[in-house]
Amino acid sequence: MNFLRKIFEETGKFVEKGKPLSWAYPVWEAADTIFFSTNKQTSKGPHIRDNMDIKRTMFFVVIALIPCYLFGAYNIGYLNALALDIDRSLLANTFFGFGYVLPILIATFVAGAVCELTFAIIRKHEVNEGFLVSCALIPLTMPPDVPLWQVFIGTSFGIIIGKEIFGGVGTNVFNPALTARAFMYFAFPTKISGDKVWAVGPDGYSGATALAIPANPVEYDTASNLFAASTQFDFSLMNMFWGLIPGSIGETNKLLILGGAFFLIYCGIASWRIIVSSVIGLVFTAFIFNLLSGFSTNAMLTITPLQHLLIGSFLFGTVFMATEPVTSSHTNTGRWIYGFLIGVLTVIIRSINPAYPEGVMLAILIMNMFAPLIDYYVVQSNIKMRLARNA
Amino acid sequence: MQKITIKKGHDINISGLASREFSNSPAQKFVSISPQDFNYIKPKLLVKEGDQVSLGDALFFDKINPDVKWPSIASGTISKIVFGERRAVLDIIIEVDKDNEANIESINQINLSSRDDVKGFITKNNFWPFFTQRPFNKVVDPNDNPKCIVVTLADSSPLANDLSFSLAENKDYIISALSNLKKLTDGNLYVAVRGDNFSFLSDYNFINLIQVEGPHPSGNVGVILNRVNPLNQNEVVWTVQGSHLPILGKLFSKGLLDFSMNINIGGPAVKPSYFKSRIGARFDLHKDSLLMENVRIISGNVLTGKQIDIDGFLGFYHSSFSVIEESFSRPFIGWLHPGGKSKYSVFNAYLGSNKKSYDFTTLQNGSNRAFVPVDAWEKVFPMDIYINALARSIEANDIDEMEQLGIYECDEEDVALCSFVCPSKSDVGAIIRRGLDTIYFDK
Repeated sequence: MNFLRKIFEETGKFVEKGKPLSWAYPVWEAADTIFFSTNKQTSKGPHIRDNMDIKRTMFFVVIALIPCYLFGAYNIGYLNALALDIDRSLLANTFFGFGYVLPILIATFVAGAVCELTFAIIRKHEVNEGFLVSCALIPLTMPPDVPLWQVFIGTSFGIIIGKEIFGGVGTNVFNPALTARAFMYFAFPTKISGDKVWAVGPDGYSGATALAIPANPVEYDTASNLFAASTQFDFSLMNMFWGLIPGSIGETNKLLILGGAFFLIYCGIASWRIIVSSVIGLVFTAFIFNLLSGFSTNAMLTITPLQHLLIGSFLFGTVFMATEPVTSSHTNTGRWIYGFLIGVLTVIIRSINPAYPEGVMLAILIMNMFAPLIDYYVVQSNIKMRLARNA
Repeated sequence: MQKITIKKGHDINISGLASREFSNSPAQKFVSISPQDFNYIKPKLLVKEGDQVSLGDALFFDKINPDVKWPSIASGTISKIVFGERRAVLDIIIEVDKDNEANIESINQINLSSRDDVKGFITKNNFWPFFTQRPFNKVVDPNDNPKCIVVTLADSSPLANDLSFSLAENKDYIISALSNLKKLTDGNLYVAVRGDNFSFLSDYNFINLIQVEGPHPSGNVGVILNRVNPLNQNEVVWTVQGSHLPILGKLFSKGLLDFSMNINIGGPAVKPSYFKSRIGARFDLHKDSLLMENVRIISGNVLTGKQIDIDGFLGFYHSSFSVIEESFSRPFIGWLHPGGKSKYSVFNAYLGSNKKSYDFTTLQNGSNRAFVPVDAWEKVFPMDIYINALARSIEANDIDEMEQLGIYECDEEDVALCSFVCPSKSDVGAIIRRGLDTIYFDK
């Protein structure tokens, strides 16, 4: 360790203030504090501080995502074996999948690091670890064989437009990972939507996601019947929970997502209020739509609340994206409203808008936009209470 | 008796708590009073180096409010007046003359029956600096009429002076002090206690006894007020330090000028104990009890205290010294650390942490970052105030909104835990003080 410490101390001299390389200080500082915890001291009260910092906070979110990566890779291999009708071991499936996941991951991190470091240098601030979470989230929302240049552009867009132009982590309005996803969804629709992209198979292979089935039925029927009639994949509730179905890399296994949710809630990083209220909103709206389904020939209205929970990326979105602390509501009352409306909007966009069967992405982005407004009214009620007391 | 239970908060499990017994206390040769301990005053000196002073003599006064003078807390010689930048008075150091102090006669007693009597008596003896007010946490204006007076005997801060022990022998003085405090307000006199401590106070009707329960900051004046009688705009509440009650009581009941009090020294880097000492005591008498070389000595508690040198003095409103290690260590990949005894966090972010009392150091344990609202402040801030929104309004310099969001109810000490837990390592206390300053100088 001493050797490494020495390297940092020696190289640190080149980036001191006044030296020609001083512009590179944020890069050096980031590397330095990754290897050795900062020895920054408290200056005045409080003279002592908690051992939790933003590095660890962000790192914990990344840890919560690792199981989703492993399963995502396995699922790619599994679905591929299914398409080719061959037998492959668990390990071989996972390795096959990593052949797709790793390049996306690398492209994302390169794009994210370039943007974050550039802005840190230009703005002369320390590198903020938040980009690690954005970059860890983006690949999990991608289909397996998305072109890497698109990932690179999408990530750059998400980090710069979603975050940096607002001033970086802490002042951004939209979730950067979702901004990237939404950008790619509209900029490169052929590679990120439709039936052909979600499973890796032979040329021209097509595998519809669970959401696409009731969205484009050959003939009207209830969603449950349509799922049951689908022969290509097993869309039973159990199988959708275990996640052996086509979809974005990280969204399919609900058990691992719930595990990540419990981990983040236990550590005090994610807000359980947002997760719980969004599920309530989703179930509530789905239930209302079920009641109304008799008046329409839209099969999406017949999806039961439990199916809504398990299909698509709702759980992934609400656990890892909606709970992002900066872009969600900042008050606990606001978090209940914010989460509830995400659930409501997800079902509305899924069911009523046939063009975008995946609603959670847009639902969260819309609610990101309204979160400050919700907070405004929550805080106003506190102000009114105080004014009333004053009078 | 009223009972209030605070749920949000955290008792920091820091090592070095003094046991309830006194150690040998050497006599203080030097004491100091520092104008820097008082917010928003413009001190004008009445003494110079070499002057002889005796107990209670005025040392300086506030140019803004000339009725408020500061008493000499010892008899003896002004040995040094320390000036800082732009000739700000940092310290008035008095060399104590023990014999002279012993011979001081008690002041002719006067009948303190009315409010004006009490106020006049306080003015005459230069005792106003013992009275502070909310909002702004500054010395009171004697002409104000406080809506109530709060005294907390339930200090909940880390390693706090346990008043149920250190004030144990001063029952009569406490009653005398409180009964005269009651004369200063038309409103209630709230006295906060913890558990069954000071149960004798329940015999007195003029006291509104409040039993507080729960973690820090439950014993803070601001938190108690927020629960029992919230402070509104244009209102003033007075308070005195619980540890000062015997000093006030001695003056009110017997006309005695006696600035002695019991202090405690605590913290991971020192042998903790209680001492019989006095206001403005110098630390270096206790330097033998230090356990290591590199230490930070703090007058007051580790959350809101002031860093002092080894020959520094106890702040006017402080009744304890805290000592922690001045650490410069840089653990390898510390943010990946699994946990154990070497970590302490209110987040469940480390395995097996927080179990034992923890040796805190001066390390900030992280770099400063933009604020990420992970609901950390709110977990340790028990008032009905949106602290995050308030901090934002202060950053935006929006006075109207600060007032609407309740800045008058807050003081630095009430939000100290927010800074302690903040993963972005923000200094919330400094933000609140900046907001109060903005309002104070605007008016």
